Amino acid sequence: MARDIKTIAAIAILPLIMMPFMGLTSIYVQTLQQGVAVVINEDPGKIVIGDHVFTTQQLVNEIENALKSKGFIVTTHNVSRFDIKVIIPKGFRANISSFTRLALIRIIKAVGSTKANAGESAVASVLGSFAHEVAVAKVDYLGRLARVKVSPSSVLDPIIYTTTLVGPSGAAVSVVESFRVMLGRILAFSLIFVTTPSIAYITDSVVGEKERKTFEALLATPVPRWSIVIGKALSASLIGLATGLADAIGLLLFFAIPSMTYGINLLKLLTPTLLAAHVSAVYLSVLASLALILPIVIRSGSYRVAQAFSLAIIGVASIVFFIALYANIGALTPSLRYLLYVIPYSHAVCMIKQAVLGEVWNTILHSLILVGEIAVLLAIAVKLFSEEKIIYSKT
Amino acid sequence: MAGDGAAVRLRDVVKVFGKKVRALRGVSFEVPRGAIYGILGPNGAGKTTTLRIIATLVRHDSGYVEVLGHRLPDERNLVRGRISYLPEDAGLYHRLTGWENLLYFAMIYSDTLEEARRMAELGVKLSGLSERDIHRKASEYSKGMARRVALARALMVGAELVLLDEPTSGLDVFSAYSIRKIIKNFAKSSGATVLMSSHNMLEVEELCDRVILINKGSIVAEGEPAELKERAGAANLEEAFIKLVGGVS
Repeated sequence: MARDIKTIAAIAILPLIMMPFMGLTSIYVQTLQQGVAVVINEDPGKIVIGDHVFTTQQLVNEIENALKSKGFIVTTHNVSRFDIKVIIPKGFRANISSFTRLALIRIIKAVGSTKANAGESAVASVLGSFAHEVAVAKVDYLGRLARVKVSPSSVLDPIIYTTTLVGPSGAAVSVVESFRVMLGRILAFSLIFVTTPSIAYITDSVVGEKERKTFEALLATPVPRWSIVIGKALSASLIGLATGLADAIGLLLFFAIPSMTYGINLLKLLTPTLLAAHVSAVYLSVLASLALILPIVIRSGSYRVAQAFSLAIIGVASIVFFIALYANIGALTPSLRYLLYVIPYSHAVCMIKQAVLGEVWNTILHSLILVGEIAVLLAIAVKLFSEEKIIYSKT
Repeated sequence: MAGDGAAVRLRDVVKVFGKKVRALRGVSFEVPRGAIYGILGPNGAGKTTTLRIIATLVRHDSGYVEVLGHRLPDERNLVRGRISYLPEDAGLYHRLTGWENLLYFAMIYSDTLEEARRMAELGVKLSGLSERDIHRKASEYSKGMARRVALARALMVGAELVLLDEPTSGLDVFSAYSIRKIIKNFAKSSGATVLMSSHNMLEVEELCDRVILINKGSIVAEGEPAELKERAGAANLEEAFIKLVGGVS
C-alpha cells in the first residue's frame, strides 16, 4: 500500500475534483450557449371566433418571449444561420378559425444544434396554450349557437386523473421518494467505476511481485496458499474501496450540483441505510472483481492474459450497471433475472435498489448471496493456485 | 524414513515441461544430513528444476522424491516449514528496508513478534551489513548488498535443509567472496544440510563436500571434488567438469 500511495491519492482525489467540476460546467456551458430563432408571420391579422378575438401577432409575441427565456436571440427576419425557425404560414388565420380544418405551423430545426430541441419544446408549449384558448373560444361559440350551456373544459378535457406514489408496503409516499429512487440508480451505476482499478491492483500484486522476483522465495515458505490469495485480495480490496468511494462521491456531486440549480438537493436523500448499503456494495463489488480475475491471474501469471480477461469482466459489469440505470433486475423475466443473478454485480446493484426502497432484509439477502459468490470464486482461485504456473509463465 | 541419514532422496525423477522439454530424465541422488552438496552443470542442465522440485515449487512427473523424510508432493506442507530456498534471482521488497525484508520473512517462520525480531537480528548478523545499511531501503542496495540480505533471509530461519540456486551469480569478486564466507560459516555452525547449484568451480571446491554433475537432465558423475578430478584425469575441477560433461554430449 505504501508503494501506491501517490497513485491511490491521484486516483481517489481526481474524481472528487473532476466530476463536480464536470457537473457544474455542463450546466454553465449550456447557459452560455446562445441560440438564434427566427419567427416569420406570413399571415398577420385578427382571428375572430364568435366574441373572441385573437391576433397572429399575439401568438408571435408569446413565441418570442418563450424563446428569449430559453436564451435565444429572436429575429423576425430571415437569416441564413439559425437554430430554429417558426413560420406562421399564409392561411393560418382562416384554418384556425375554421370548424373543419386544422391550422399548420411550420417549425424548422438546424441539424446538430444543441439548442434547437429546447426551442422546439418552448414553442410547442406556447402553441399548446394558444390552441387551448382557441378551442375554448370555439366551444363557447358553438354552445351559444346551439343555445346549450357548455363548459369548455368538459368538452376539451373530459377526463382528469390523479397519480399517487406508493412504497413497497402500499402506503402513499411523497414525490421525494421518486428522487431517492433516481439517486439509487445513480449510486448503482457508480459501481461501474470500481471494477477497473481493482483488477489492475490485483494483477500487479501477483504478476508484479513475480516480475520484482520476490514471489518465488515467498512460495517456498510455509505460508498457506489461501493466505497468499486472500491476503492479496484483501489488500487490493481496501485500495479499491478507497478509489470506488471517491468515484461514487464524485459522481454524486456531478449530478447533485446541477440538480441544486433546480431546487432539488439530492444529497439530503441519502439515508443511513442507503449509505451503508452503498459502501457495502462498493466493497463487495471490488471484492467480486478481484475474485473474478484472481483465478486467471494466478493460473496465467501474465499481464496480457489478465488484461484480456479483465476487459471481459469489465464488459459484463458494465452491462449489469447500465441495466441498473434503466431497469429493475427484480422485474425482469425469470430466465433473464436468474441469469443476471449469477453475475455478482447484479446483487450489488440490488443491494442499493432495495436499500433505496427501505427493504433492509432484501438488502441483507442480496449482500449474503454476493458474499457467497465471492467466497466460491476465492475458493476456486485457491484451488487453481499453482506455484509452477506462476514461476514459469511469461509475464 | 526420518532419521535414516538422508536429507534429500531422489530416485528416477523425471520432469517434462510441455510435451517436448525433458528437463530431468531420471535423476537419482541422495544428500546426507549435515552435508554440503553442489550441483554443477551447464545452462539448461536441470539444476534449477531439481532445486525447485525439492523446494516443493514444481511437481515431478514420475519418480520418487523424499525431503527430510517426507514424500513429495503429498507432504509438501510439512517440508516447507523445515527448508529454506534462495532462488537465483531472488529479489527484495524495494520499498522496505533490509531490516523490514528480514523481519517480514522472520514473521512467517515465527510464532511471536519477539521470536521474529530475534530471527531478523540473526539475519542482520549473517548479512554482514552495517546498522546504517540494514535500515536503508532495499531499492538503494547494490546487487551484492541485496544478495547478502536475500541469503541471510534464507539462512536465518533455522531450516534443516537450505537450497541455494547460484548464490554468487552475477556478483563481483568481493561480493562473491562475502557470500561464500557467509555460507561456509553458516554450514559449520548450524549443521544444516546445504544443497547449492553453481557455475563457479572455485566456490564448489571451497564449499562442497560432494559434487553432482548434471547435463541435459541426467546425472553424469557424482563424488568429492578430488575424486572427480582423479576420475577425469584433470588438474582442476573445471577441466574435470568439461571432460566428464563434454563426454556425454
